[in-house]
Amino acid sequence: MANEGETEKNKTFKLLGILDVQNIPCARDSVLYGSAGSLVAGLGYFLATSRIKRSFDFGVGGFILTTLGSWIYCRYSNAKARVQQKLIQERMKNKLIYEGTVLDPTRKPNSSSPDIYIFFK
Amino acid sequence: MAHPSQLGLQDAASPVMEELLHFHDHALMIVFLISTLVFYIILAMMTTKMTDKYILDAQEIEIVWTLLPAIVLILVALPSLRILYLIDEVENPHLTIKAMGHQWYWSYEYTDYEELSFDSYMTPLQDLNPGQFRLLETDHRMVIPMESLIRVLISAEDVLHSWAVPALGVKMDAVPGRLNQITFMISRPGLYYGQCSEICGANHSFMPIVLEAIPLDPFEDWSSSMLEEA
Repeated sequence: MANEGETEKNKTFKLLGILDVQNIPCARDSVLYGSAGSLVAGLGYFLATSRIKRSFDFGVGGFILTTLGSWIYCRYSNAKARVQQKLIQERMKNKLIYEGTVLDPTRKPNSSSPDIYIFFK
Repeated sequence: MAHPSQLGLQDAASPVMEELLHFHDHALMIVFLISTLVFYIILAMMTTKMTDKYILDAQEIEIVWTLLPAIVLILVALPSLRILYLIDEVENPHLTIKAMGHQWYWSYEYTDYEELSFDSYMTPLQDLNPGQFRLLETDHRMVIPMESLIRVLISAEDVLHSWAVPALGVKMDAVPGRLNQITFMISRPGLYYGQCSEICGANHSFMPIVLEAIPLDPFEDWSSSMLEEA
């Protein structure tokens, strides 16, 4: 147990000392997209206007907005996938337990097979 | 349990704790972005020409620094409230256990079917076996069936205590003369450690909580064996 903590500590890299981009889902991708967005926004503004200071402002603004947008989209997709995974697990369990009975989730209504009822004490 | 020098949250062993972990990640990302903005503003302020010392109003910037914090608060508040109401969902628990805090040990009562109760004292250092954890092990663990909704009624016999298990995301004060209720479900088998979380005297740090989550059949065997011993 002690060695687990040491190897995990060696592997973590935290941006600004707080954001563990290696272990938090979606963090690494969001920061990378944000960096790309920052480059596009800052460089694009500079090429259009040649204003250096304002280009940096746009770069930082682009980083924040792109990171936030990518983060929200990725976390929402992950949350949906997690819910679906739990539903699938629940239905697989129900299929195994109730196969061939009235409660079988894959049973089609009005099927020709005889109904088997389960009685609980 | 936590590994040495761990700063972050423990791995989740219950659905609620999983949601709390995800919310913590979300809040941390927002904190990171706000910190980035603040550091950049500090850097930018160091290079300003100070040409706008006498402006009297600036409607646009005022609107921006009112709306942006409002948006940030909404981004944090919505998931937070969702989890708050998720924790308070009322369902019929499969098992009810009473956890009573004493100076300085916990006692557990399983009174749904038979009268089963036992005390849980910390295992002293000299009695630990190799591989056991200092200040965390107890002589009797609170054994519960996994994947079942458990209700724990928490109270105290003398002074304030607090029953906490970080891996499950539960913490509730044990108040003398009051019954507090928490419900949780453990997703996977294992041992889950916690410690008293309200100062209660000299041995406040030496009254840990150990939960042992096992499948239902072994749990029934355990409760039968405990009743026979009693």
